[in-house]
Amino acid sequence: MPPTKQAPTRQAITLKGSTNLVTEFFKYAVNTILFQRGVYPADDFHMVKKYGQTVLITQDLALENYLEKILSQVNKWLLTGSITQIVLAIISKDSRTAMERWVFDVSLVEPPADTSAPPPAKPESEIQAEIRNILKQIVSTVTFLPVIDEPTVFNILAYTSESADVPADEWVDTDPLAIEAGKSQQVKLRNFSTDVHRIEAMVAYRYDG
Amino acid sequence: MAYTPKTPARHRTRSETKTPLTGASVNVFNNSPTKHSKAGAGDTTNPFITSGPSRPGSPIKRTTGGSIAVSKSLRRQASAGVIRKGGVESRLDVVTRDYVPPPPKSETKRSRSQPARDTRDRFITTRETPVDEVAATLDLMSLNPQTSSPGHTARLAAATGVPINKRILAYHEPPPPSASDALLSQQRELVRPLYARPGELPTSNGATSNKARKIPTQPERVLDAPGIVDDFYLNLVHWSSLNILAVALEGATYVWKADSGEVVQLGEAPEGCYVSSVNFSQDGLYLGIGLSNGAVELWDVEAQQKLRTMAGHSAQVASLSWSQHILSSGCSDGSIWHHDVRVAKHKVGELIGHQGEVCGLAWREDGELLASGGNDNVVNVWDGRIGDVAPGTRTAAKWVKRNHTAAVKAVAWCPWQSSLLATGGGTNDATVHVWNTTTGSRLHSLTTPSQVTSIQWSPHRKEFLTTHGFPTNAVMVHAYPSMERVCEIRDAHDARVLWSAIGPAGDIVCTGAGDENLKFWKIWDIPKVKKSKQAKESGRGSTSSSILGIR
Repeated sequence: MPPTKQAPTRQAITLKGSTNLVTEFFKYAVNTILFQRGVYPADDFHMVKKYGQTVLITQDLALENYLEKILSQVNKWLLTGSITQIVLAIISKDSRTAMERWVFDVSLVEPPADTSAPPPAKPESEIQAEIRNILKQIVSTVTFLPVIDEPTVFNILAYTSESADVPADEWVDTDPLAIEAGKSQQVKLRNFSTDVHRIEAMVAYRYDG
Repeated sequence: MAYTPKTPARHRTRSETKTPLTGASVNVFNNSPTKHSKAGAGDTTNPFITSGPSRPGSPIKRTTGGSIAVSKSLRRQASAGVIRKGGVESRLDVVTRDYVPPPPKSETKRSRSQPARDTRDRFITTRETPVDEVAATLDLMSLNPQTSSPGHTARLAAATGVPINKRILAYHEPPPPSASDALLSQQRELVRPLYARPGELPTSNGATSNKARKIPTQPERVLDAPGIVDDFYLNLVHWSSLNILAVALEGATYVWKADSGEVVQLGEAPEGCYVSSVNFSQDGLYLGIGLSNGAVELWDVEAQQKLRTMAGHSAQVASLSWSQHILSSGCSDGSIWHHDVRVAKHKVGELIGHQGEVCGLAWREDGELLASGGNDNVVNVWDGRIGDVAPGTRTAAKWVKRNHTAAVKAVAWCPWQSSLLATGGGTNDATVHVWNTTTGSRLHSLTTPSQVTSIQWSPHRKEFLTTHGFPTNAVMVHAYPSMERVCEIRDAHDARVLWSAIGPAGDIVCTGAGDENLKFWKIWDIPKVKKSKQAKESGRGSTSSSILGIR
């Protein structure tokens, strides 16, 4: 698509569209991490085609519903712009210490100062390519992340603003499940952005070097 | 650990103006344990060394400085009551940079959450936005506005770039455990080795053969074998030099004439017992049938009549092998008998050397040596000269090999190098050993994915074929002596492949399995120089004149 002339059929991505895109990305990213890091046994997952590649998605109904509940709330927060970060923490089942933190920063893309010439909308294929690259990078992180040889559980943390609308009995304030500073290593992953949101990915892992 | 000032420059200058803020907190932490002050010792990559001595760091860095764990060596020294000079403690006296005190107490608890940042990370792929890069780290912190004055908090927030009033939320219920319960996962763990199928070859083309050749992975022909006994220890399929295939289906023995496709039932085993082994004489005219009651029957294939029954074994005869007029039989009790089929008193020799059932038995082509494999995991090689030994003499085996760790059923002599003997072990072993029977040495060993049920040497190529049981149920072709895999036909049968027989021409191999099928595989080609009849003659070394003269 030439940047100067926009195809009439294609609308610029809306907040709602972008929110759904980001939520969907979270779903696949979380599933990929849960599979790659062995939080759930490998045969709980099945392959689906997504973003032009095969992605492993859980087929455990309980887990599927659990993620669905979380992501629907995340979706709402994204719409109101009150969420700043999503963290998937992988915790040792026995000692309850955090082993890995997969951090996804959410930021709103600032519209340019001069509104006279809005920038051309980002093609969806480009967004998908960026998402695909993040997922691929998550897969490739197993090459350097320490091997976890104990049973683990995960927890999803949402960093929201104080003013965020929080369903009282469903979401509770919590500890950040952080890894001690001296024992932590961080790796920045790729990022992707829609016209509205920008997602930065990072993984911090426990490393007693 | 090394830190880079990732805080935006705007914030850094702000924090400089707010020095009283940090200065106030120094007192609080001067009393803190020495581990705080250890923070920067030996930290050569610290940005403060290069960026000027006077500038205090932002609270962010202070927080990390305060949460350094005591190193192992230091702890060891401390527990010993001695801090060595020149150690970490002594180095602390040398102030190479400004000491940055940790932030107020209210914050320290949370500040432990800030992970270290390693500037040497090779995995960072995008660096175009350093401000965003640090954002993830900063957001791990959360200021607690309740415990300090609002102005203090606001200044702190502005200085660090950490937003105030941030909430960390988690869903109220923990994630569900995996649906697969402990018992299931334990069972999965136990079963895993059975399903661990090693990597397959990318193609069926043998990379080892000098000429790329394609071995068909589909059988040439499939025959039904209803009721064939699915028993590893039996030997129920044999192919004669006259191109006749014998197969035992429970009590009945059938011969299938490969030339005409005609099927003839040779006979029925006595009531209550089944056929446990079949073996053709070298000329293909006679068929020995071992029965589960210990009897050995001799049949004329052409006339389809039984010539005699040689009784005497106390238990099932699981293996038979011919050498001219001698029919050797391996019994469940571990004994091997030589029957001279020409004489009335048929038992001319007995070999005692196995503790378990003799399930593999093979005479060398020239009748010099007899190899036997047993359920006791032993391979014995016996001297074949029995004529001048009185019956009942307990001869000792020439070689006793105890390398296998499971029952040895697969025993095969190499047709083109008479000293070579290949033996293959059962499930726990799954190894093929190739022996030099002249010197008694083990020449090669090959570990296979699953139990070796039979071995067939190619008469024309330096290759041999093995058949396998669960889990691969495969037919494999290996090169010799490189032992490289030429071809593997996975799941050749639906059940474990138990028997194999090579055709007289040396190109087709017939396999039988518990799935009640006989499959014919065209594994090798007949060399072009010797065509059909000639190849048949030389292939199995059949004798034109029958030595058997008992009729």
